[in-house]
Amino acid sequence: MNRRAFVELGATALAGGLLGCGSAPVTPGALEMPSAAGAKPSADAARVNYFGRFGVDEGMIRETLGAALSRGGDYADLFFQHRVRNHFVLEDGEVNRAYGRIELGVGVRVVKGDQTGYGFTEELTRDALRRAAQTAAAVADGPSRTGPQAFHVDALPQRYPLNVRWDDVKPEQKLPILTGINANALKADARVKKVTVTFMDEAGAILIADSQGRLIEDVQPMTVLSVSCVAEHNGRREQNSYNVAGRSGLDFYSRDRLDRVVREAVARTVILFEAVEAPVGEMPVVLGAGSSGILLHEAIGHGMEADFNRKGVSIYSDKIGKPVAKPFVSIVDDATNEYARGAINVDDEGNPAGVTTLVDKGILATYLHDAISAKHYGVKPTGNGRRESYQHAPMPRMRSTYMLPGPHKKDEIIASVKKGIFCSSFSNGQVSIGAGDFTFYVRNGYLIEDGKLTRPIKDVNLIGNGPKALEQVDMVADDLVIDEGGWTCGKDAQSVPVSQGIPTVRVASMTVGGRAQKKG
Amino acid sequence: MGKEMLDIAKQALQLAKQKGAAEVASKTSLEREVTVSWRDGKLEKISEASTRRLDVDLYVDGRYTSMSTSDLRPEAIGSFLDNAIGLTRTLSPDTNRSLPAPALYEGQARVDLELEDPRHSALTAVDRRTKAQAIEAAARTVKGSDAIISVTTAFYDGHLETYRVHSNGFEGSQNSTYYSAFAEASVRDPSGRRPEDYDTVTVRFYGDLPDVAQLGRSAAERALGSVGAKKIPSAVTSVIVDNRAAGSLLRRMMGALNGNALQQKRSFLEGKLGATIGSRLLSIDDDPLLPRALGSRLYDGEGIAARKRPVFEGGALKSFFIDTYYGKKLKVDPSSGSASNLTWKLGSKGQEALLKDMKNGVLITSWLGGNSNDTTGDFSLGFKGFAVRNGVIAEPIAEMNLSGNHLETWKKLVAVGNDPYLYSSNRTPTLVFEKLQVAGT
Repeated sequence: MNRRAFVELGATALAGGLLGCGSAPVTPGALEMPSAAGAKPSADAARVNYFGRFGVDEGMIRETLGAALSRGGDYADLFFQHRVRNHFVLEDGEVNRAYGRIELGVGVRVVKGDQTGYGFTEELTRDALRRAAQTAAAVADGPSRTGPQAFHVDALPQRYPLNVRWDDVKPEQKLPILTGINANALKADARVKKVTVTFMDEAGAILIADSQGRLIEDVQPMTVLSVSCVAEHNGRREQNSYNVAGRSGLDFYSRDRLDRVVREAVARTVILFEAVEAPVGEMPVVLGAGSSGILLHEAIGHGMEADFNRKGVSIYSDKIGKPVAKPFVSIVDDATNEYARGAINVDDEGNPAGVTTLVDKGILATYLHDAISAKHYGVKPTGNGRRESYQHAPMPRMRSTYMLPGPHKKDEIIASVKKGIFCSSFSNGQVSIGAGDFTFYVRNGYLIEDGKLTRPIKDVNLIGNGPKALEQVDMVADDLVIDEGGWTCGKDAQSVPVSQGIPTVRVASMTVGGRAQKKG
Repeated sequence: MGKEMLDIAKQALQLAKQKGAAEVASKTSLEREVTVSWRDGKLEKISEASTRRLDVDLYVDGRYTSMSTSDLRPEAIGSFLDNAIGLTRTLSPDTNRSLPAPALYEGQARVDLELEDPRHSALTAVDRRTKAQAIEAAARTVKGSDAIISVTTAFYDGHLETYRVHSNGFEGSQNSTYYSAFAEASVRDPSGRRPEDYDTVTVRFYGDLPDVAQLGRSAAERALGSVGAKKIPSAVTSVIVDNRAAGSLLRRMMGALNGNALQQKRSFLEGKLGATIGSRLLSIDDDPLLPRALGSRLYDGEGIAARKRPVFEGGALKSFFIDTYYGKKLKVDPSSGSASNLTWKLGSKGQEALLKDMKNGVLITSWLGGNSNDTTGDFSLGFKGFAVRNGVIAEPIAEMNLSGNHLETWKKLVAVGNDPYLYSSNRTPTLVFEKLQVAGT
């Protein structure tokens, strides 16, 4: 219930030993999308395809929405979800365990003003759905309203079409990926003693139907590959990891990507033997392109989620239209990056998901909205209404948050710093929404001394304040990278997959939580 | 409902055996949770949920998987097990995988842990709403409350039933209830910040809920107390950690006690059984048998009978958390793979007296992000709290960081309070350390 929000790499969660996966007993049946990209919206297209295999039909949906509105809510929606997730784990050289999880259920939401009633069930029967709808309906207390009599569907973009769905990929096709990585990581550096590889694939589908008569199905694949290495050298041990993720299929794992995964995991581990204590106190911080987008996620992304602003509790509540950064700083939250972990074709309320500009040339432009906040502000929803699963009501969430390229060069930025640090990899971050204070944890970085990267550093938390840190972004390079890692964002105990990115940037001053006293 | 869920667990076990599993652990759970949240004078959200789940651990041809489903239709369970067993057969064999030895199931404590409040089913929607409303009203009575921007409160409660059966003879069920109350206040700070803070309690029995009005006041006072917070200069200084925050610091070390971390060489505590890790004040038991406590249990996640045991004693490391699998890999006896309630040997003083003794330093009241490296013991954690001068709480501080290495930090533990935080299974009191590195300006 704590309003604090965080983001972390999938690997962090995986390390704890996770449960959850499921080899899918999906009834065979061709999947037909309601409409392919470019197809014209048509009333005929509005029929239940994927969820028909579980006995869901239009009549059931109509009846449930009717029950949901029986006490006069303004609006109701149903969120059906089927998700089959498998994890395969390689440890001590063998893929000798798998975890699987199957989720099937439907959530019923009723909205009255900015009040929400929510119920869900894992039994997809008319009776169970009616009971869930009655639970949700109780948020309102007025005369019954009628639900939609017919459904229509809008064309969805196709940002993650797969040639072969994960349900149709055999374990035998996945296992060589894990064993190959293990062999290559051990071969890459004799100091590597232990390798853990975790491979996750997920076949998911959602159906959203609402009281405005929208009916939308989307198929949502996901995969994450994570490699952790433990290395030993002169009696010391170090561990680090690398992971990649996307709404992709098996062909995501190209030779090139798998080689990079091994190279990065090993390099990020063994360099820790050379690391010195990180410094302590305020100093300039240069953030490398890519996963340093965690800065944006924490320093501004969460604070721009409109629920916090609607309630007046975000530090950005009174800043729309005002300058918050240098004119060369533009930040977007983008659902459209094909096959990205943070990509969505449609949000979890059925609203179109495109590109939302948070900061336009230094000016705070738009909050991230769900349907409730969009109505509150009298604007169109931005397609940021997301939820962890059918067990949860949606709220404004990020998708893929990144900064657009700027006018500077990476080398010029590093050369500009006399004493500071350069950060290249991160594990997690957190923000306090109202105070604006945020942190992110650096796994790998370097000292910058007299304009040059010198000794590696490790394991240090950076701490700053959102609006102040944005103002202090005083150089932005032209080398934008959207990170390929498996980031997961947590808010109010709901986790959703996100992406982030950034070009190389300089933050003029941040507090570095190391232990070596600043010299000079 | 209970009988039905137990039957599903048993049927899944039998079915998995028929389909070729040599050993099976089958568990079902049924949870009902109701949440009411309240904000600024009106209802914000109500939700009610029942979740059902079947979890099976399968041991097939010397191979292992763990699978879970919420689709409990009989026909779905059959194909779920077919698929799961088929998938298990594609993996590498692993001779270390098996159910626990049946002897470990023996000797369950004969006590009533009092985890299930019989009164739970009588709780009404009005009861919940009244609590949530009362908490907000109380928050708005504190001195300086005109600076409050928003108060969000919540009341949530649940009933959980779990059933576990193993093919080598274990059978058990555990039922429990919980009630949580929560309050968060956001306040205006002349600097433009809108600091928030919260307070929360969780108990097993409705009758054990403390005065919820006090909870509302505490959330508001905490938020108002952080108005004007600033970072202060970096220093090596004495640090006192509030009992609510101290559990997190301890938890940062606990990952390294895990069998998986030890066997995978990802633990800075490997080989340190019996060694001195902390000052003589570091004395912690894992105690699963405390009535009404949040981490209590008669058997653990593998069916192993729960027993109280020391984790640290006078600074020395006394035991690890090792499950059946990593026990075999490490060639040691399994204890339990997870902690239950962590209880400290308490000191004699409360926080006020400890502040007086400490004189100067910082008081940490909550953490903000950061991380800890299980392999090396290094940690770096964001925090907020207060400066402490001449033994009393002075100005609020924020945007600060604490860093260290567990092997050094716990040796600098110089005092332990008499005030364990009871709303967590990690029942840590106020802790005082000397000479830790904090970062600010």
